[in-house]
Amino acid sequence: MNFNLTSTPEEEKFRQEVSDFLDKELTDEIRRQYAIDKGLGPEGRAFALKLGAKGWLGLGWPKEYGGSDGSIIHDFILVQEFARHEVHIPNEVARFMSGPTILHHGSEEMKREFLPRIARGEIEFGLGYTEPPAGSDLLAMQMVAVEKEDCYLITGQKTFNTESHYADYHWLAAKTDLNAPKHESISLFVVDQRSPGITITPIWTLGGERTNEVFYDDVRVPKNRLVGEKNRGFYYMIEALNYERLMMSQTERLVPILNRIIEYTRQTRRNGKLMTEDPLVRNKLAQMAIEIEVSKCLEYRAFAMLFEGRSPDYESGISKLFISELYQRLAYTGMEILGFFGRLDEDSKWVPLRGEISRLCRMSVVYTIGGGTSEIIRNLTATRGLGLPRN
Amino acid sequence: MDIKFTEEQQLIRKSARQFLMDKCPSSLLREMVEGTKGYSDELWRQMAELGWMALIFPEEFGGTGGNFMELILLLEEMGRACLPGPFFSTVVLGGLTILEAGTKQQKQELLPKIAKGELIATLAITESESDYDPSSITVTAKAKGESFIVHGTKLFVPNAHVADYLLCVARTEKGKDPEDGITLFVIDGKAEGIKYTLLNTMAKDKQYEIFFNKVRVPKENVLGELNKGWGLLKKILQKAALAKCAEMVGGGQQVLDMAVSYAKKRVQFGKPIGSFQAIQHHCSNMLVDLDGCRWVTYKGAWMIDEDIPYEKEVSIAKAWCNDAFRRIVALGHQVIGGVGYCEDHDMPLYFRMGRMAEITFGDSDFHREIVAKQLFSAG
Ligand SMILES: Cc1cc2nc3c(=O)[nH]c(=O)nc-3n(C[C@H](O)[C@H](O)[C@H](O)COP(=O)(O)OP(=O)(O)OC[C@H]3O[C@@H](n4cnc5c(N)ncnc54)[C@H](O)[C@@H]3O)c2cc1C
Repeated sequence: MNFNLTSTPEEEKFRQEVSDFLDKELTDEIRRQYAIDKGLGPEGRAFALKLGAKGWLGLGWPKEYGGSDGSIIHDFILVQEFARHEVHIPNEVARFMSGPTILHHGSEEMKREFLPRIARGEIEFGLGYTEPPAGSDLLAMQMVAVEKEDCYLITGQKTFNTESHYADYHWLAAKTDLNAPKHESISLFVVDQRSPGITITPIWTLGGERTNEVFYDDVRVPKNRLVGEKNRGFYYMIEALNYERLMMSQTERLVPILNRIIEYTRQTRRNGKLMTEDPLVRNKLAQMAIEIEVSKCLEYRAFAMLFEGRSPDYESGISKLFISELYQRLAYTGMEILGFFGRLDEDSKWVPLRGEISRLCRMSVVYTIGGGTSEIIRNLTATRGLGLPRN
Repeated sequence: MDIKFTEEQQLIRKSARQFLMDKCPSSLLREMVEGTKGYSDELWRQMAELGWMALIFPEEFGGTGGNFMELILLLEEMGRACLPGPFFSTVVLGGLTILEAGTKQQKQELLPKIAKGELIATLAITESESDYDPSSITVTAKAKGESFIVHGTKLFVPNAHVADYLLCVARTEKGKDPEDGITLFVIDGKAEGIKYTLLNTMAKDKQYEIFFNKVRVPKENVLGELNKGWGLLKKILQKAALAKCAEMVGGGQQVLDMAVSYAKKRVQFGKPIGSFQAIQHHCSNMLVDLDGCRWVTYKGAWMIDEDIPYEKEVSIAKAWCNDAFRRIVALGHQVIGGVGYCEDHDMPLYFRMGRMAEITFGDSDFHREIVAKQLFSAG
């Protein structure tokens, strides 16, 4: 056994290099942009290109497609270091969702067209799965792509497509066969997000982020933008899930948040004493440290399985489940400790920690809903993980 | 044993629910929350006409002599509608305190105006190092001639910007026991030297910082006994805590109703999601929590009305409601999924309200400590 993130000198050197780079390059402005505006300002974009130039956005990909011929352990080390430094990987959907599927199933032409640009940090995709009637039940989607002689004509509505208002491309799932069994009726497309016939309208959320409704009205999509085989889209979506889950949420992100809450208690007197002297406060903080450690172990276990080539099944699911619920518990612990002050928005007088706990409390509501609800993960854990009968 | 409401009580509840359904749609709610004032004059006037502000006060002071249970039922409906505005701060924090401790003259002067909806009041307790702890109160009031000079900063004072009167908790003397030497004052909201700064809370519920810069307050504006204010305050805080519970009961009921009706309509995997046991259990757990909140709150109100010592039971109610309401809202979000996370849904209003309610007049740790003290003092 070895629970270290890095286990060879080469890996450790790589981790150190990433860490040094982030220490040097990250400014408050870049952090802010990645935390709040998806890294979209000029500084955020310049940062993405720098990472691309380092070869870090296509680590596990072959050189011929702009990659670095690394392995997924490098991806994992990279995301862990990013998490520790509290920034997101730029263009996450392109990098961790669309890119890998294109690499595994896309045509040669598609790989050459898209992978190098993703690896350079130039383009982002909007994730286009959910529809009003199709949330947890993605197979209930109704958007239709009709094959014509020279293109697909696509019509229908997506909802909660978070990146679409700024993404270059739409990673779109649509029905290409109305008669086949549902899981053999869906295809994936790469659609130019600015194509004529697409309308994007904002949805504002409790966490303050924008997501979107996206309407397609007879949108023409060239045939070479079909990803892999027609009607295999649902399989591609499922296959990519483990890797996506592990790359897109890390326990490590919680550590600096807990540290800042601890620092706050060191500096704050409440009801006549320093907060660090209050046994209730100590107990709450210790509990969070315990849960963070457990979560990290679950996460490393799932990744190690993926790394060894054993496909994690329920293991990556419960890692996501645990982290998402832990985020909420951490946010509430922070709220309890910050008291009234924890309820203040970022722009208010008296706000502690720049309002991050109040924001986290609001934002973490969706962590147990998006990317597979906790209920669906528990269902799969029961049936696939424990072999209980399906109802 | 009897858990029936009187006809009068049922009527209050029914008419309040109907009124708020008709007059306070979600659109008006959002307008009030976003506005600087925080409420609508028109709605306030209509509430006064219905006698809501008069409900709890004796007839001799312009009220209709209702009991605490009736106030609780009214507040429950307000919580259900997520109604913002200064009702709570005026009637519960201001009115009840004056009724409890005011001189005959103070009562005659202030209560009839409150009962008619013509006077808005609030209570200033919290400070930067203290929520509800007497030892950390730093705002001082020093006697000078026929006046007191009040100086210092209060935080999280609801609706201070529209208050005609601020009831302010200040230290008038430093005693051995931190509870001694605290006095309540009725201060004119427009008195010279008061500065208001809006604090932006997550519920946008118009909480203010108040800086009293050597504000002169006439001696006759002392409320209750000089230096003995904390005992009075404790009593008021317990009543206010139970009143907050009532709002959470109403809010919890609304969240449960939204979740259940959504679970019946929303179809995934070819079935209403309400047919999945995971969702059924969520809804059942919400109901268990809610019923607990409801009856422990009613019990507290009954004890207050019967004049049975209620400190422990009210703290039990507040500790339970804080935690249970948090769970109810979280499960409501879970059931309603992505749709409930959008600001145009009502769920976020209750989420935000819950974050404020669970801390106001004592969070769960605060009230568990009161319960613990009672447990040990009994032995
Ligand atoms: C802010 C935000 C951003 C998002 N971004 C994107 C994006 O970029 N791209 C994209 O495609 N999607 C996105 N989503 C959609 C997200 O993935 C869905 O919200 C999620 O899949 C859940 O679907 P739903 O909201 O329709 O809930 P529903 O599926 O309707 O679920 C409602 C409730 O029913 C439960 N339920 C459903 N089926 C079962 C069952 N069989 N057994 C037990 N319980 C069940 C659920 O667990 C949940 O509790 C986003 C959502 C949000 C809120």
